[in-house]
Amino acid sequence: MDKDKKNEVINEENEATEQKKVLTKKDLVKSWFRWINTVEFSSSFERLQSLTFVAWISPILEKLYKDKDDLVKALKRHLVFFNTEGSWGTLIHGITVAMEEENAISGKIPDEMIVNLKTGFMGPLAGIGDTVSWGTIIPIVTAFFLPMAAEGSIIGAIGPLLVVPLFTWTISYQLFMLGYKVGRNSIMEILRSGKIKQIINFAGVLGLFMMGVLSAQFVKMEPIVSYMISGEEVTLQSQLDSIIPGILPLSLVFLISYLITNKKVKQSKILIGVLIFSLITSYIGLF
Amino acid sequence: MSVTQAIILGVFLVILEEGFIYTVPKNSPMFIGLLIGLVLGDVKQAIIIGAAIQAIYLGFIAPGGNIPADTRIAAFIAIPIALINDLEPTVAVSLAVPAGLLGVLMHSVRRTLNGTFVHMADKYAEEANIKGIKRAAYLYPGLLVALIYFVPMTLAMYYGPTVVNVILDSIPEWFIHGLSVAGGILPALGFAITITVIGKKEIIPYFIVGFLLTKIATNVNTITLSIFGLFFAYLHVLFSKGDSSSEGGII
Repeated sequence: MDKDKKNEVINEENEATEQKKVLTKKDLVKSWFRWINTVEFSSSFERLQSLTFVAWISPILEKLYKDKDDLVKALKRHLVFFNTEGSWGTLIHGITVAMEEENAISGKIPDEMIVNLKTGFMGPLAGIGDTVSWGTIIPIVTAFFLPMAAEGSIIGAIGPLLVVPLFTWTISYQLFMLGYKVGRNSIMEILRSGKIKQIINFAGVLGLFMMGVLSAQFVKMEPIVSYMISGEEVTLQSQLDSIIPGILPLSLVFLISYLITNKKVKQSKILIGVLIFSLITSYIGLF
Repeated sequence: MSVTQAIILGVFLVILEEGFIYTVPKNSPMFIGLLIGLVLGDVKQAIIIGAAIQAIYLGFIAPGGNIPADTRIAAFIAIPIALINDLEPTVAVSLAVPAGLLGVLMHSVRRTLNGTFVHMADKYAEEANIKGIKRAAYLYPGLLVALIYFVPMTLAMYYGPTVVNVILDSIPEWFIHGLSVAGGILPALGFAITITVIGKKEIIPYFIVGFLLTKIATNVNTITLSIFGLFFAYLHVLFSKGDSSSEGGII
């Protein structure tokens, strides 16, 4: 009951601002498109995505603030440090546009409120975006086409480019529009509910299963050593296979993931380590 | 490789390096393999080599914008070398590794220099100069990429195959075999990273099931296996409803 009441209040708030909207749907679509095309374009160590952020929102600010001083203030508040994941982070963009519009009309929203909202949301959304878009959707779709590409198929090579945006761009666009439409209070409620966690869990299970499938297909680690047992020549590989098929590659994947998570070993060090290990074991004739 | 071919590949590399269309996997070595194959005239083999390199970089994400390896440079350097010298795809994977790491260095140079444009934008913001801000955000960073990547990478692609061919002729057999061994092991890194990104210990058994199922059911294709994956994911979410760990949100 409480929740319903809250929603009603929020809806009334939204309706109140609805009547005085300055921005058109076209403005929103264009700004989202500018963003998704240039997310990492001007990324710098100093302020990461701040420059991209101010650039995509600047035409909107120009339309909202007719007074030059207000415009300067608005531009400057979006040049501060900003960094999130580009496909899920657009929820922030939608809310920000809604707040700027409200501010331009009523002048009641303080600077810090907009900046704090951006910095408050950018971390959690980067976490979801990295996990779901980059850690699950892209690897799964790529994995799906990888076996085709491994046989030289053009469909295999081009498939991920066509299929991935069906997911990531839809998510990004919808979250942008959602953020703009429902406002910050409802967003808080969505993020606090269990729905998001279910989506992440579903993606996580599917992702891990598919990574297992691909590891079995693509990681090759077969010792070429053989020895004599009761007059018969036996390869080490066949002995290992009789315990658990693919035990070496399976253990290797877990060893590396342990080194990254628990020992904080850098990925570049592991790459070099694998090269050295392979050269040595090749020299002594183990692999 | 002719000079013209090297220049065309250099232009392709610069376009991809710019980084348009976020999340669309145009930096995938499989796709770059297709581009290289079209220019060098062997699409099939170039995609096969690209697919081998792809497996290492599968789960790579860039937290805070820090890329762990530049898959574009890795693919643009390694694929022509392997294609022209008729090398095994696994050897190409080993060649891709140092090239990809070199790419991280160049990426750092780019992101350091991009800082200059932020300061320009600060000034333009004072003057409410929207056009200036757009130039600082789009035009200058774009030109910078062409400036730092085009010449060195075109030269590397042009001379790479010849130089590597000379080196390969003079190094011992075990070394080349070692590179090939590494090419078989390296894909493990991509999968391991994906495990750590997903980062939930309690669902790791699904990885093992996927692995063993694939090893046993050798005649089952990936599409069928992924249906099993969907099924497991569905069951997991269905049965963990009401469980305290799945209640509550993320903030």
